[in-house]
Amino acid sequence: MPDIVPRRRILLASATALPLLLVAAGCRSQDVFAGPDPLAGPPPLGHDVLTLQAVIAAEEKMVELYQTAVVADPQALVRTRMLRSLLAQHEQHLAQLRARLVEPPGQASASPTARPAASTAGPPSGPGPASTDLARLRAAERASAASLVRRLATVPPALAQLFASIAASDASHVTVLGG
Amino acid sequence: MTTSVAALQAALAAEDAAIFGYGVAGAHLTGSSQAAAMRGWTGHHEARDALAAMISRLGATPTAAQASYQLPFPVHDAASARALAARLEDGVTRAYLGLVAVRDQQLRHFGAMAMQGAAQRAAFWRGSTEAFPGLNLLARSVSPLGRTRAAP
Repeated sequence: MPDIVPRRRILLASATALPLLLVAAGCRSQDVFAGPDPLAGPPPLGHDVLTLQAVIAAEEKMVELYQTAVVADPQALVRTRMLRSLLAQHEQHLAQLRARLVEPPGQASASPTARPAASTAGPPSGPGPASTDLARLRAAERASAASLVRRLATVPPALAQLFASIAASDASHVTVLGG
Repeated sequence: MTTSVAALQAALAAEDAAIFGYGVAGAHLTGSSQAAAMRGWTGHHEARDALAAMISRLGATPTAAQASYQLPFPVHDAASARALAARLEDGVTRAYLGLVAVRDQQLRHFGAMAMQGAAQRAAFWRGSTEAFPGLNLLARSVSPLGRTRAAP
């Protein structure tokens, strides 16, 4: 029994001294332990994830634009049928893009407003549904294609091929929209 | 990853096939369709020359075009000529996908722009669009609306 107290004192002294030693040495917890710091929160999102999030946000805007156009012009049946078909292809783009997005836990449920801005990737914003017309859709398709091509330089090959294919689809939409 | 030269040669081969095919298709078309075929033929010629120059700059020899190509189906009227032109553009779009995947950023850009031109011409000839030109992503999820008819 007589040596219990000294051992406790040694343990307490060590627990107190270790942080002081680390501070004195200018170390932080990240320097002491290799690998991610569990106390530092989730790691920042990678470039590919951020790019995909921006492209997805832009594609979501495109889908909304087509949905608005379809609702705004229900009488022109032929045109509406074409717009619905183009809308379906944009929804397919969105599904493929989302399938490639792997976000860390806690990120996937983030609200759309928390995502990075689509910048020039998105279709141009404008007034209400009544003014939606083919010219606006053509402009949106051209802007989307151009934005995707600008992103090609910084993404992996497989993603570059998907972006290029979607951009080609967008460009072909301009053709059938009368551009 | 495909090398730049291999990707360029694949695109060159597709352009050569398109040049041959447009020659066949154009003979069965008239008026504005024939003019469009002529524009397509000219555009593919220019692309072929650009690709050959890129290949030479990389120290390789551009592969020569074949003397003749096997057509995918008989072409005997305007409808089959238009179908052939659309098929040719599909092949060109697929061929440029390889170029989009190389490391060189300028080649990626060139390939992507060529894909857009080919997809637009295919849409013109076919009167419809694809969700993923050049890619085969919809084998398991084909939508009845996956192919889009243009408004008359």
